[in-house]
Amino acid sequence: MEMNNQPIIQVKNLCVDIKTDEGTLTPVRGVDFEIRPGETLGLVGESGCGKSLTSKAILAINQKKCVSSGEILFRDDKEDTVDILTLDPRGKQIRDIRGRQISMIFQEPMVAFSPMYTIGNQINECTRLHITKDKKESKRITLEMMKKVGIANAEKRYDQYPHEFSGGMLQRALIAMALVCKPRLLIADEPTTALDVTIQAQILELMKELQKELGMAILFITHDLGTVAKMCDRVAVMYLGKIVETGTAREIYKNPQHPYTRGLMGSVHKIGTLKADRLFSIEGTVPLALNLGPGCGFYDRCLDRIEGVCDKADPALTCLGGEHCVACHKCRKEGV
Amino acid sequence: MEASATKAEPRRNPFSSPMARFIYKRVLTFIPIMLIMSLLIFIIIQLPPGDYLTTYIAGLKAEGQVVEEAEIAMLKEQFGLDQPWYVQYFKWIWNIITDFNFGYSFDFGRPVWPVIAEVLPMTIAVSLITMLFGYLVGIPLGIYSAVRQYSLGDYVLTFIGFLGMAMPNFLFAILLMYGTYIWTGTAFIGLYTEEILLAVNSGAMQWYHVLVHPDFWARMTIPILVMGTDGLCGTLRSMRAQMLDELGCQYVLAARAKGVSEARIIYKYCLRAALNPTVSGLSGMLSKIFNGSTISAIVLNLQIMGPRLYDALKAQDMYLAGTILLVMGFLIVLGTLLSDIVLAWLDPRIRFEGRSAD
Repeated sequence: MEMNNQPIIQVKNLCVDIKTDEGTLTPVRGVDFEIRPGETLGLVGESGCGKSLTSKAILAINQKKCVSSGEILFRDDKEDTVDILTLDPRGKQIRDIRGRQISMIFQEPMVAFSPMYTIGNQINECTRLHITKDKKESKRITLEMMKKVGIANAEKRYDQYPHEFSGGMLQRALIAMALVCKPRLLIADEPTTALDVTIQAQILELMKELQKELGMAILFITHDLGTVAKMCDRVAVMYLGKIVETGTAREIYKNPQHPYTRGLMGSVHKIGTLKADRLFSIEGTVPLALNLGPGCGFYDRCLDRIEGVCDKADPALTCLGGEHCVACHKCRKEGV
Repeated sequence: MEASATKAEPRRNPFSSPMARFIYKRVLTFIPIMLIMSLLIFIIIQLPPGDYLTTYIAGLKAEGQVVEEAEIAMLKEQFGLDQPWYVQYFKWIWNIITDFNFGYSFDFGRPVWPVIAEVLPMTIAVSLITMLFGYLVGIPLGIYSAVRQYSLGDYVLTFIGFLGMAMPNFLFAILLMYGTYIWTGTAFIGLYTEEILLAVNSGAMQWYHVLVHPDFWARMTIPILVMGTDGLCGTLRSMRAQMLDELGCQYVLAARAKGVSEARIIYKYCLRAALNPTVSGLSGMLSKIFNGSTISAIVLNLQIMGPRLYDALKAQDMYLAGTILLVMGFLIVLGTLLSDIVLAWLDPRIRFEGRSAD
């Protein structure tokens, strides 16, 4: 039991560098987090903050020009710990982890399937790679998973092509493809952004049910705070390649500390507010992660910045008690 | 009992499958297309002033011979050139349809078909070999170039690709002939060595004997390189571009994320999608097999269809030229149909013509 509460994955000081002609971009600048079995961690942040690069680094499927450093310690099904970053990204060992132990659901289901092959063929490929080479048995397993994710008439759907599916059905198929090998960790990269709202709710409900049934951990990546509240046990807020605040979902929602987190919370529409109240928005955009100064990445956009402090040193993540940690000079000064 | 059984069975229509219906429709459109095309070809061939006889007589006069008016009139009547063009056209078409008779070659003094048939085997052999060379080398090199983008190999192939596309074939042919003559002391001109040519002319050798002769293959090297490089470089560039597009697709990432190996991603997913433009290019292939690379063939002195069409057009040998053009047109239409069928087989979205099953 004690063993089981050890994290399934520990990401330590993960950096991703991209070499360009103008210099080295560092979209991910030292990310740390861990996920325990059966737990859902929400990784939140606006576009371009490095969420997707972080998630793809875990599977080592970033493009060749992206160089990851740090440690990604994964506890596999034999309870051995491997550092994914030390594996050859084309090698057999990582390919055995991908799809079977860690799998991923993508943002746009419409392009995550090849238009050339049937849905059944593409889900079954995963089954045949990792579970059984037996054709009949693997088809049975695939069909079972397709039914489990709520694809009606699975036998007929098995032989259909992606263009014959609706968006919601394709996302279900994508989930089936990710879960057919019953992975220990599921990375869901904005799995509902491309879907309409009623379908979103169904898909989230489905993911929660399957998580309960299979006992897997989920890394849930999103910019939608509503789904985070619904799905996640813990939340990590990411800004400019760093985690600026982390804690239980409750802590983050009830008591956000970092000015960026507070800004995010303020920009969510609440039912019951007056029409005249405009939604809060954070001024400016995320700067390019190129030749960054020594100060806090949020300095230029921060409403609570302390001149002479915040532009001199980048604040480290400091714990405030419990799970709640924040990287901000102001919070530390005030000694919250 | 039996009657009710047949009732329950839905009637089988041979055209019930979308693929069969598609082919059936396309074959039906063949007939009007061919008729319109033949008419256009005939009109265009008639467009230049004069006809074969005027060219012929002018030639005779230039040599200082005296040609009687009566003789000219007799020849005109004999060749049917005194009739209006539409009568000539309908006679030509009628003879083709009823008799497979494509008319008479004035220049060769023989019916058209044998004139074409005698160069046909060698034409097809030369074209097929060069084309196979282009595809078999171009497709793998294009894949390599895309998978190893920005590597040294990619840069070298890109350089060769652009060079091959930019350089006129005949120039390349001349350079190669010059080079081989300097280095080996023999002129590699034409497909046959003297020995083979004698044997062919005396009837001792048929074209299929020639094909297995080592000297023939030595002679083929330059034509293969010259005519093959053109197709090769085009295929290489388009394969590279397509493969890069496909490799950047999200489904590649999804396949990688489920543990599929790189080789399988390339061959199962990307290659199949990337072949589309190359397969579309096949539509012109049949016609090119019949008559391609005229200028290179003239420079290299190859006895194949291209130069024959060129001479026929120059001499206003209208039935010979018309027939070659007509066969080319037919092969383009047929090639388009074949390439569409292959495309539909490759890509399910084309197969369903954009309709979803439900």
